[in-house]
Amino acid sequence: MNKELEYSFVELLEKHQNIVHKVCRLYTNNYDAHNDLFQEITIQLWKAYPKFRGDAKFSTWMYRVGLNTAITLYRKSKRTINTQDYAGVEFKIKAEDYDNTEEQQLKVLYKAIHQLNDIEKALVFLYLEDKDYKEISETLGISSVNARVKMNRIKTKLKTILNP
Amino acid sequence: MDELDLLKKDWNKESSKKKLSVTDIYPMLQKKSSSIVKTLFYISIAELIFWILVNSIPYFSSDTYKQRLEDIYQNDYALTVISIISYAIILLFVYLLYKSHKSISVTDSAKKLMESILKTRKVIRYYVLYNLIIAGLSLIIGFYYAMHNNPEISGKLENFSDKQMLIAISIMTLFTVVFVLVIWLFYKLIYGFLLKRLNQNYTELKKLEV
Repeated sequence: MNKELEYSFVELLEKHQNIVHKVCRLYTNNYDAHNDLFQEITIQLWKAYPKFRGDAKFSTWMYRVGLNTAITLYRKSKRTINTQDYAGVEFKIKAEDYDNTEEQQLKVLYKAIHQLNDIEKALVFLYLEDKDYKEISETLGISSVNARVKMNRIKTKLKTILNP
Repeated sequence: MDELDLLKKDWNKESSKKKLSVTDIYPMLQKKSSSIVKTLFYISIAELIFWILVNSIPYFSSDTYKQRLEDIYQNDYALTVISIISYAIILLFVYLLYKSHKSISVTDSAKKLMESILKTRKVIRYYVLYNLIIAGLSLIIGFYYAMHNNPEISGKLENFSDKQMLIAISIMTLFTVVFVLVIWLFYKLIYGFLLKRLNQNYTELKKLEV
């Protein structure tokens, strides 16, 4: 039974792993930290999995556990010596996909987002995932009006960071 | 165009790079979590044990103390009641701690989750506070008892001038205050360090509600 559960969980996680990677990408700056956070989210997901019921979508459920782990549970490990600029590496790999200006803009944008605090990052994350304000507010535990107001403020904040 | 809309275009593209296989994920399930809640849990267990040990070490380490305690308990009904109450209080704290730990759920909203964690932390804080107060009271009662019932000390005290008496009381007070302060600082440090980020994020969420 337990093996079956383990198998179904790993299969699901493998399929939806990108969600976790995206959370890690927003909340960490280097590969080690990324892997640490991925590991921790996986453990939290696995611990909560027996209580997961099919009525919610697995991905929706993952958003919540993933963000909660990043915001509240994860303790940044001590070995966060900044080895590489994460955003920089990724963009080098994908450079050919973009024209220069767009690439440059994105790079700056990711840097700007990394400067936001944990809660703001969570809002940006859910926004980028095309979640509506109802779901954003339920995930974070704030009212949807406040979520909307805060999101607008973040947009303004990003504008100021980008165009000082 | 909105800056974030530009990002949205890119956001879902980057899936191919970091792809873990099923065999990569399996070993992760066996790894130990390093979450705040887990650390908090271990620290609270350590604290429970620490204070129980502190209270029982004299009993086991000194035969004369044990003998005296047993004499007292035989003669004094009130002391037996007090010790039963104090064990009941420890049990109550264990129960509260267990209950608040159980209520921490990673599938709650971020705010609710943070509240549950901070509530658990509060239970531990009350436990520590309770022990500090008891320790402080015991020190004071101990001094008082020594002054009145120990012939050697009370004999000496009778010869004290007012000034000497004042100094003696000041030293005892200072001792008690320093003792309590050191422990309090110790806790501030542990939990301050551990929960700094959590507190920051919780305040940030709270601010949104105003």
